[in-house]
Amino acid sequence: MKSLRSDKVLIVLAIGGYLLLWGPIIVLGIYSFNNSAFGVKWESLTTKWYVELFHTSAIMDSVLRSLLIASVTTVVATGIGTIAGYGLFKYKFAGRRFLRMSILLPITVPYVIMAGALLVYFTQIIHFPLGYPTIIIAHISFSAPLAVFVTLGRMQRIDWSLEEASIDLGANRLTTWRKVTIPLLLPAIFASAVLIFPWSFNDFTITYFVAGVGTTTLPLYLYSMLQYSLKPVLINAISLIFIITPTIGILVLSYFQREKQFTR
Amino acid sequence: MKRFLGIKTPAGILPTLGPISVWIALFVFAPVGVIIYFSFLPADTAGEIAAGVSLKNYWLLLTGDTDYGNAILRSVLYAFITNMVCLAIGYPTAYWIARYGGRFKALLLFLVIAPSWSCYLVRIYALKQLVGYPGILNDFFLHLGLISSPINMLYTPTAVVFGLIYIWLPFMVLPIYASLEGINPALLEASLDLGASPGWQFWTVTLPLSKGGIFGGTILTFIPALGDWLVPLLIGGNKVWMAGNLIQHYFIVRGNLAIGSSMAVILTAAVVLLIYMCIKLGGEEAVERIV
Repeated sequence: MKSLRSDKVLIVLAIGGYLLLWGPIIVLGIYSFNNSAFGVKWESLTTKWYVELFHTSAIMDSVLRSLLIASVTTVVATGIGTIAGYGLFKYKFAGRRFLRMSILLPITVPYVIMAGALLVYFTQIIHFPLGYPTIIIAHISFSAPLAVFVTLGRMQRIDWSLEEASIDLGANRLTTWRKVTIPLLLPAIFASAVLIFPWSFNDFTITYFVAGVGTTTLPLYLYSMLQYSLKPVLINAISLIFIITPTIGILVLSYFQREKQFTR
Repeated sequence: MKRFLGIKTPAGILPTLGPISVWIALFVFAPVGVIIYFSFLPADTAGEIAAGVSLKNYWLLLTGDTDYGNAILRSVLYAFITNMVCLAIGYPTAYWIARYGGRFKALLLFLVIAPSWSCYLVRIYALKQLVGYPGILNDFFLHLGLISSPINMLYTPTAVVFGLIYIWLPFMVLPIYASLEGINPALLEASLDLGASPGWQFWTVTLPLSKGGIFGGTILTFIPALGDWLVPLLIGGNKVWMAGNLIQHYFIVRGNLAIGSSMAVILTAAVVLLIYMCIKLGGEEAVERIV
């Protein structure tokens, strides 16, 4: 190895990258067990903030709202997105490139723009009262594209001759879909759902723009707590939950993928 | 084959691509069309919209006594710096994982992705709690006696840029990693066989072949940083406004939809131009790497 010096630089930068990403989160996680209401001065170890979290009804209500929104979003967006990914992969047609770019649009344009546009659209054009339906519609618009591209990525690695075999052996389209296509797509469906659920649960900007009265989700509640500096330590405890939940999601997903690879 | 709008189409297209097309048309294209329309409506300072079409809102952006123009220029500058620093940290990180990750590659990538999956508000708050005052680092340094009075690290432009880097870094690493993994190892061997030194090989083979990932990562960090509003709001403490803050301010706080729309349209135009440039420079791969 000739370039030992550049290897060292590489390692230092990589470690710097990881430290930057994880440092603040880890410190916050540790301080959520801190027995000081102010949150920055370490006193002693406690889990009382977590207990208080579960006994604060406003927080629990907002968790339930977030779960409801994320569940509906996940089901609809995964459904629409998966079949669209399938269609985009299978069929070549005029306008395919345009459709692909259009689906990409909501996830590349900054959220604040699309959220503002949806707000104007809902309130001034179609006169939809702001609330659950507007939040869910907005969330689906942003997360269905995620499912489309997850599915597209997965489909390249699937053996599609099974589908043709099914048709050759006399199954009709619907049976083929049910017995062959959907089982083949299951990993993609699962991966999309695992991606979309935390995305919807964690989303702040879009929800902030299109939420109405009484639809305060957990991120919105957290925001109002930050604005008025209420109980910083309680916020630390909520934060740890926000960080742990998607992490478990990815772990489950990667475990599931590993199983798949071994059985192949 | 069926005929749809007089064009021969495979039977499966409508049921599979119909729903998403309708959805995108109704809830993405229509709202964007609406803000373009609203941006040309004259509105007074209270946000009352009058009839007619004018360029008044755009004119206001150029000549207004308030600092809209500054906010937009600041956004471009901050997003550019963020992008460059993310590239400077993200490329080596991705390269290191791809080259020396070995059997830990999956874990190392997971460690990059995981923070980006948690609530973005929480990550900003975590940073604020760490470096702010009252804050954990300040308290720690005071305790050790390294500093005699708390240092104010927040509410400055530097703090905002640092916050942006912290938030958007993961999105730079992933596309670069994907494109590095996609490089055919035979090409690297060939360059060594032909006498290239490892350094020369990096600059002439590896780097050009990963440009799709670099521009894909640029789309994923430059654009969200350009439109960010929570980082400047929470880390910049309302003192360092970016374009996203203006949009949020006019849409939500002032309720002036016409002016808000004109800003959103300008920012969208900047974003479209940027995506176009990234695709020109990085090729189609830039788009493939972002999803």
